[in-house]
This record gives sequence, C-alpha cells and structure tokens, in this order.
Amino acid sequence: MKMERKLPLTDAWVIWFLLGVVMINYPFLHIFNKNVLVFGIPLTILYFFIGWPVSIFVIYLFSIYLGHDSARDSSNNDQQSGSDEETP
Amino acid sequence: MIPVSLVVLTSLLYFGVLFGVAFYADHQRKRGRSVIDNAAVYSLSLAVYCTSWTFYGSVGRAATTGIDFLTIYLGPTLIAFSWWFLLRKIVRISKEQNIVSIADFISSRYGKSSALGAIVTIFAVLGIMPYIALQLKAVARTFDLLVYPFATTGTTHILPKFDLHFDSALVVAMILGLFGVLFGARHLDASERHEGLVAAIALESVVKIVAFVAAGIFVTYGLFDGFGNIFTEFLTRFPEREHLLRLGSAENSYAHWLSMTIISMMAVMFLPRQFHIMVIENCREEHIRSAMWRFPAYMLIINLFVIPIALGGLLLNHGSTLNADFFVITLPLQYGQPWLALLVFIGGFSASAGMVMVSSVALSTMILNHLLMPIILKVHTKSQNLSRLLINLKRLGIIAVIFLGYLYYRLLGESAALVNIGLISFVAATQFAPAVIGGLYWRQATRRGATIGLTLGFIVWFYTLLIPTFVQSGWMSASIVEQGLWGLTILKPTELFGLSGFDLWTHSLFWTMFVNLGSYLAISLLTKPCEAELDQIRKFVDVYNPLPITTERTRITRAPTVIEFVDLMAKFIGKKQAHASISTYLGDSEIDEKGSLSEVELPKLKRFTELTLAGSVGAAPARIIIDKYLSARGSHMEDVFDLFGSVNISRTASREQLGVLYEAAHTVASGNDLQSILDEILKIFTDQFKFDLCVIRILDEERQTLTVRSQRGMTSEHFGESERDLTADTFIGETYLTNNVSVVNDSDFISKPKTAAIIHREKILSFAHAPIAVEGQPIGVLSAFSRTAKGIFTSEFVELFTSLASQVGVAWRNAQQTDRLITAREQQRELAIAKDIQLGLLPIKVPDFPGVRLGGLCIPAKEVGGDYYDYLIHEDGRLDLVIADVSGHNVGAALIMAETRTLIRSRSDKFTKPHELLRELNQFFYDDLTRAELFITLFYLQYQAGTREISFASAGHSPTLLWQARNRQCLRLDPEGLIIGVKEEFTYEQESLTLEDGDVLLLYTDGVIEAENESHELFGEKRLIELLSEKHQLAPQELIDYIVEQVRIFSGHHNFQDDVSLVVMQVTQQ
Repeated sequence: MKMERKLPLTDAWVIWFLLGVVMINYPFLHIFNKNVLVFGIPLTILYFFIGWPVSIFVIYLFSIYLGHDSARDSSNNDQQSGSDEETP
Repeated sequence: MIPVSLVVLTSLLYFGVLFGVAFYADHQRKRGRSVIDNAAVYSLSLAVYCTSWTFYGSVGRAATTGIDFLTIYLGPTLIAFSWWFLLRKIVRISKEQNIVSIADFISSRYGKSSALGAIVTIFAVLGIMPYIALQLKAVARTFDLLVYPFATTGTTHILPKFDLHFDSALVVAMILGLFGVLFGARHLDASERHEGLVAAIALESVVKIVAFVAAGIFVTYGLFDGFGNIFTEFLTRFPEREHLLRLGSAENSYAHWLSMTIISMMAVMFLPRQFHIMVIENCREEHIRSAMWRFPAYMLIINLFVIPIALGGLLLNHGSTLNADFFVITLPLQYGQPWLALLVFIGGFSASAGMVMVSSVALSTMILNHLLMPIILKVHTKSQNLSRLLINLKRLGIIAVIFLGYLYYRLLGESAALVNIGLISFVAATQFAPAVIGGLYWRQATRRGATIGLTLGFIVWFYTLLIPTFVQSGWMSASIVEQGLWGLTILKPTELFGLSGFDLWTHSLFWTMFVNLGSYLAISLLTKPCEAELDQIRKFVDVYNPLPITTERTRITRAPTVIEFVDLMAKFIGKKQAHASISTYLGDSEIDEKGSLSEVELPKLKRFTELTLAGSVGAAPARIIIDKYLSARGSHMEDVFDLFGSVNISRTASREQLGVLYEAAHTVASGNDLQSILDEILKIFTDQFKFDLCVIRILDEERQTLTVRSQRGMTSEHFGESERDLTADTFIGETYLTNNVSVVNDSDFISKPKTAAIIHREKILSFAHAPIAVEGQPIGVLSAFSRTAKGIFTSEFVELFTSLASQVGVAWRNAQQTDRLITAREQQRELAIAKDIQLGLLPIKVPDFPGVRLGGLCIPAKEVGGDYYDYLIHEDGRLDLVIADVSGHNVGAALIMAETRTLIRSRSDKFTKPHELLRELNQFFYDDLTRAELFITLFYLQYQAGTREISFASAGHSPTLLWQARNRQCLRLDPEGLIIGVKEEFTYEQESLTLEDGDVLLLYTDGVIEAENESHELFGEKRLIELLSEKHQLAPQELIDYIVEQVRIFSGHHNFQDDVSLVVMQVTQQ
C-alpha cells in the first residue's frame, strides 16, 4: 500500500530529477550560453542564479508533499501494525 | 595589517566559544536533552561541505578558470533531491545496524568483510589526508595575510614577546587535534554520536555564511555599485576574459562541466566526513526532508557573491590573478575594513576547522575499527579489559591523522598539487559510490564484486590523478606523463588507452568508473553471495520491509548467561556503557537478568551484543569477537527443527527428549513395583542428560514432609538432610506448595538462604524442581541438579522436565490403584470363601420323617448374609428344625455359624428343651461374638412325632408362622428371647403347641420380609401371612418356590439384598 501511494510521487520525482539533470547540462546550457547581458548580468550566470533558486523551491515543494505522505503512511502503518498485533 | 596579538586573541576567543558550545551540547546530551536534535542544526551541520576551498578556492577558480566552480554546488543540489529515498535508506540501515563509518557500511553490507573495511579505510586516508593539508594551508596563509599582507609566502612567525618561532599551521593542527579528541573521542560510545562536535560545526556554518556574505556585500555594494555594475565594468575592461562567465571554452568544456557535476554529486555523500555528519550524526530521519532544500539554499546564498568578489578582485588588481584565492580577505584589508577581514579570517578558519575535525574523527574511527582492531583481536587472545586501550587508540588516531595532514602540507609546500587536491579527493570519494548505491538496491551485488571494483577504481584513480600531480609538483619525472608507463603511450596517465582530448577530471572519472563500476557489475553477476552476505543483503536492501517475526531458527548450545554477555561487552566498551546497554535491552523483554533465559531469546541477545560492540569497534571485528567468544566456550549455533510448530528444539535434541519421555512411559506401564519404576525413571533421565543429581520426593502423609523415595547421585551428607518441610523456605517446598516449577539457572543468585547453603556446599551450578501431581494435586517433587553447567533449564527443557514429573505421578497413582485393587480382590476372596463355608453348612437334601413333609431353601444374596438352617432327626422320634441368621459378612461370621451348627448337632441330643439349648449356645458364644462384634438370631423348634407337640424358642429371630388348618388362620410363634451374644447369661422363653393335620409351619429369615421394592416398600410379614394362607396346601418345596417367586416379583429384582432362607413343615394325615 505504501508503494502504491508513493508511485505517483515517485514518478513526479523521476521527472523532475531528470529535468534537473538535463537543465544543467550541455544541450540546455548551450541555449543560455550566450554573451548577452540582461540587467547587466551575463545570461549564463543569470540562468544559473535564477534556475538554482527555482530548483530549490521545487525541492521544497517535494519535501512538503513527502512530509504529508510519510505522515499518512506512518498513521497507516500504525493501524497496520495494530492489526498485525491482533492476529496471533 | 592587523596586530598578531589581536588575531591570535580573536582566534582563541572564537575557539573558546566553539569549545563552550560543544561542551554545552554534550552536557545537555548527558542530561537527556539534545540541542542538536532539530532540522536547522542538521542542515547547518551538512554545510561542513563548504570548506576553505569554498571560501577561498572558489573565488580563485572563478577568477582563473571561470564558473565551473558552480558544479561543486549544483551537483549536491541535484542529488539532495534524491535524499529522501537514497539518504534516508542509508540512515535507516546505519541506525539499525549500528554502523559508525562509511567503511563500516561497506564492510557490513558485504558480509561484514574485514578485508573490504580495510581497503576502504586505506583509500579514504590516502584520499583525504591531502585535503586536510589544504585546510591547514588555507588557515596559515590567511593568518599571514592578516598579519603580513604583503608577504607571499612564509609560514613561520616570530612572536615578538616570546621570541618563539611558530608555524601557525602547526598551532592550528594542535588545537584542532585537541578539539577532535575532546569532542570526538570522549568515550567509546556505542553509537559514535558526538553532539558537541555537531553543535560546533553548526555554529561554524553560521559564522561562515555570515562572514562570506558580509564580505560579498562589501565588495559588491561597497566597492562597486551592485552586480550589474561589476559585470558591465569587467566585460568592458577585460572583454577577452568573457569566457570566464560562460561555458564551452577549452578549459570549461561541457564534458568537464558534466564530470565535475557528477563528481560533486558523489562527493557530497561519500566523503568520509560527509558520510559521518550526514548519516552517523543524524538524529532523526525527518530532518532529511528539510535538509533537502535548506542545504542547497545555504550553498546558493554563500555562492551568490563568489563571482562578484572574483571579478571585483580582478578589476581592482588590474587583472592580476596572483593570490586570487584570497581576494575575499585581501580586498577588505586593502580597502580599510580590517574588522571585516578579521571576520572573514574567522569564517575561513571555521570552514577549515570544521572539515579537519570531522574528517579526523571519521578517519580515526575507520582506522581503529578496520585496521587496528583485527590486529588487536589476533594479538590479545586472552580476555582483558580493552576499553581503555581502544579509546586511547582512537584519540591517538585523531591526532595522527591531523598531523599526517600537516606533514603532507609541509612536504608538498607551495606546489600546485594542493590546488587540485580538493577535486582529487572528490574523485576518490566517487569510487565508493558503486559499492554503496549498488549495495542498497542490488541483491546480486557481492563482496568480491565490490572488493575488486573498489581496488581497481583506486588503482586507476592513483594512476590518472595522483601521478600527474606528483609530476606537476616535481616529485616524479615527467617522462611517465609524456611517454606513458614503461614508455607505452597507451598507458599515459592522462590519456589512458588513447582517450585523448579530455580534461584531467573527465578522463579520470571515465576510466575509474569504467573499471570500478564495470568490474563491480561483472564480478557480482558471476559470483554468488555467501552465507553471511545473504543475511546482510536482506538487512540492507529490504530494510523497509522487515520480515515478520518468525519462530527462531537457531539456538545456541551451552549458551552464555546474560551476565556473561555483559562482561564481554564491558571488556570493549567499559562497564558503565555495557550495563546501560543491557538495561535498555532487557527493559523491552522479559528475561530475568539472573541467568534464566529461554532458548528463543539467546540468539537475539547474541545479535544485540554483536550490534552494540559494532558501534564501538566496527561490524567485522564485532562478529569476530562474538564468534571467538562462543567457540572458546564450546557454544555454537544449531539449526532448529520446528516440531509441530509449538516445540522449538534442535533436530537431535528433540529425538533425545522424546526418547526419554517414551522410555519413561514404557517403564511406568511395565507393571513393576513402584520403587523399581521410580529408580528406572531417574536412571533414564540422568543417563540421557548427564545430570549429577536427581531426586524424587513424595509426601509422607503422616509426617507431612517430603521424603526421598528415589535418588541418584546424592552424597550421604546431603541425603541425611534430605527431608523437606512443606514451607516456602526451600525451593522444593515452594514447588510443592505452589504446584509450580522452580528453576534456578545460576546458583550464584539464590534468594533462599537455607537452600543456598546446601547448594553451594554440594557445588551445584543450576537446578530445577517440578511438582509431581496426580489429578492436579501435588504429591511430591522431582528435582534435577547440575554441577557442570549453568543455564541448562531453558523453557523448552523445563517442559520436558515437567512431563517427566507427570510420568512419575502416573506411576505413583498406578501403584496406589494397584494396591487398592489388591485389597479389594482380597476382600472379594474373603467373601467368596465365606460363602463357600456358609453353603457347606446347609443340608444337602430334605430328610424323610414320618408324618411330615419338609422343604427348605437358602438363596444367598450377593453380599454374604450368613443364613443357616438345618433338620435334625433324633432317635426318639424327634425332629428339630433350626434356622439362624448371623450378622457380619466375612469368613469370621461364617466360621461362627459353622461352630454353631456343630454345637447344635452335638448337643441337640442332650438338650431336650429348646430354651436350654439356646441358653447353652448363648453362653458358649458370648465371648467370641462379643470379640468379633457379631450377633446371631436363631429359632429352634422341636417336634415330637408321636404327640405332634412342638416346643420352640427364639433368640431374636423373626416369628415363625403356623397355619392352623382347623382355624384357617396364621399364628405367629414369637417367644421372647434375646439375640445371642448380647448378654452372657439369659433365660429364654419356651412355648409349646400341638399340631394337627394340615398344619403348615413356615420358618424364614428376615431377608424375606425385608425385601424392598422400588418405592422402598418392604415385603413385610403381612404379605407372607397372606401367601401362606393362600397356598398352604402346596407341597413344601412348591410353597417355598412360590413364596420366593412372589418376593422376586415384589422386589422387581432377581437377586435379593440379604440371604433368603425358608423352611416349611407340613403335617400330613396319618
């Protein structure tokens, strides 16, 4: 039961993780790797220093969801372990 | 320029604060509270990742090679995303298995392999020592810069006041060593948690970020006009350096970027100090969740100002990259902010100190557990208290590691080698990744795979990274790099097997991972996990799916007691720790600490002991210790045979035990006398289980004590005081009184003084008593004693013992019943004899006598009643009829009747008068009857054939009935007379009558009239009279038969309660 509920979350996690890998590597980087200044800041650097906080925020959201998930799971597990104790 | 004294003072002050915080945290821990048990502190402690390399190295790198330093922090951010799955699993396993270092983790996963642990330790030390050197160098340099800002090199200083040469790095090394020992090796904690250390690290992280951001703000907004301003200015002045701000250049290729990202991802988890602080020091898995974003946030903030500072430094130093590393401290110094510079120094110092302290503790633990412990265990074969030795070795290790780092730093000097050392260490840490991550998820991963993978990985690492840097620093000749090993170009360290065109890091990462991961996978697939590994695989890979608790599958023979396990632990972790651990463990289960253990609990206790020891000395040494200890005692693990699902005893033991019960049952059923049976049972029992002493005691009803009925092995002295009262003073008495088994598995712990005295005198080590019960009531006690071993009476064995006691009870009950049976049979024999005698007394046939017809019948009842009747014919034409009934149902009564008959027969000639005869009978038999407590009733009638006169007397007998033909009426002949045997002298009444034709006399015993029917109605005299009146004309025998039938019909039974006797005399016509 635990695995079933985590699956949607795990799927989402995998997607974001792979996205993260892609976005800090060559093909994507190349898009932003231009000698352009935006607000006086080079594009590449801006890309990182905006993308980075965004990623952190995504992780933050995940940590919230994981918290709800594990709270639900732990209460379920308590129920489960309770019923386990009843069976001889 | 800041005065040395000020710098020193500030530093010492700062150290004081650190010490204080650490001390406070440890103190709180002792009191049960935890200062560090919150997510913020955990996340801050992870920031130990940001060492002086972050502080200074990043800026230097940004100024010289560009933004690739960002990968060092982007990588960890990416992998932090996976921590809830990856890191949490590692933490869960480590807590459960009491793992204390990364070497422990790897060694433990692959079957607690000592070899693997040693390999990991050696590589870790090789890889990290240079990194420590780097930190010490940073502190020394920044110290110099503060004090002598214009010096470029030089690390020795002269303290003016004391005229001493000192090397700041050495001083730092010493102080850090002291800190490490104080807060990292206070005692051999069975879990390697160091709260004080973690608290200090967290504080340092705060100082680091504050200092760096302060410096950053100063440069960006103090010296320039913000971010945009810096970039614009830089690009205007140094347009040719714009590549620093982008990727894709030769130095900053995408491949390089990717490699660095990967390397950092692995390093943040598998550097020994990271593993230690992330996994071992983790308080709660919950904290991982928030660390997942807090730690990246920390890294983001601290890195915000790296590029501005770098560019600003370049701008302000006219593009010179000299000492670019230290822009962050020189800029404030140069531009009038000495306090800020001091703050930055302290910040950088924090960064270095954190890394050195945690690394030294982690490495020292690994060295002790995986390099030194195996040697110690081989050398110290005798059991001694090793806990002092171990903790001192640990402390020595910490100091040694730091000083080795210092030596490294002194030896390599200012060589370029140090700059790259950070990344080299990262690649080294990456080598652990396959073994750890594979071990977490891949069941097929085997020890050989991991060992070979790691070893090959490190060899390639050494060859592709270390050798080129040695060449760069001038230690080795350049020929090996230029021409390859032994002149083979294909073996060029930087272009192995012809892979050219990549930077050092990508090249090295590729080849190390190729051989490491490749051989790990290949060899794991080709080999099978061994026995020890299988267990560990389950514990690691399946840590989230624990198996349901099954019945124990192994047992330990000749197992140690709890106390002995505790003593073993104390030898390694000290008495206090050992006792604390065992109390926590025992608190959960119901083991009596005084030596009584059930077979199921013993393997659990063994595992607990091993786990506890592992926390201090590592998993592999702990296993060796336990195995050696058990084998020295002659104990070993046995497989368990699950018999009927309820009895868990080993295959051979079950046969033994069942065999004993079978033989005992066989003996009990053998029908021998009780004593032989008891002796035989004890013999079977002691033969099988080699008990030194066995005793059966049975309750003596009269004296109310338990006396010995059978024993084997008692000394005469013991036997002399072998009786036991029914009190709870002794275990035997208590067993009897409570009808419950008493077990003492360790005679050192006897609560009853009386028993203790005997037990100790007889040198008994363990014993047990079981109540012998018959139908639930105790009748005795079965006891078994051993002089050779403690702890024999496990709960399974006690079950057998109790069964045996009940066998003894069965034997005893059988004996009782047999006795009763014999007694009953004897009684029956007696009754049968009496009946025979009685029947022999009766007349065989009816005699002929002129003028009368006679008939008589005696029907004996089931219980002998003792009736008697007789016809006596005399020469003078006299016929005597006598009928008698004796009380008592035994041979004695029958014999008395025989005597009576004899007396009557011999005397009736002489006595012509019935009452005289009766008087004589009474006198004669008075004594005998009184002594035997018997009575006789008797009716005597004399008939004179000529005169047809009858005279009669009665001794308490039922009245004789006379049917008189003339009146057609029944007359009751009932002369007064006392039952014979009551009074010694008595005069009996006598009456007379004359009979006529057709008169019928009926003599009977009270069995007739006392016959009962179902409603407890008696047949009664009245009915008899009626019958006689009705059927008087029948022939005597027919009349008798008819009466008997009527009585039978009346009573509803064929058999009578009492003997029934009838005599009929009919007077016929002449």
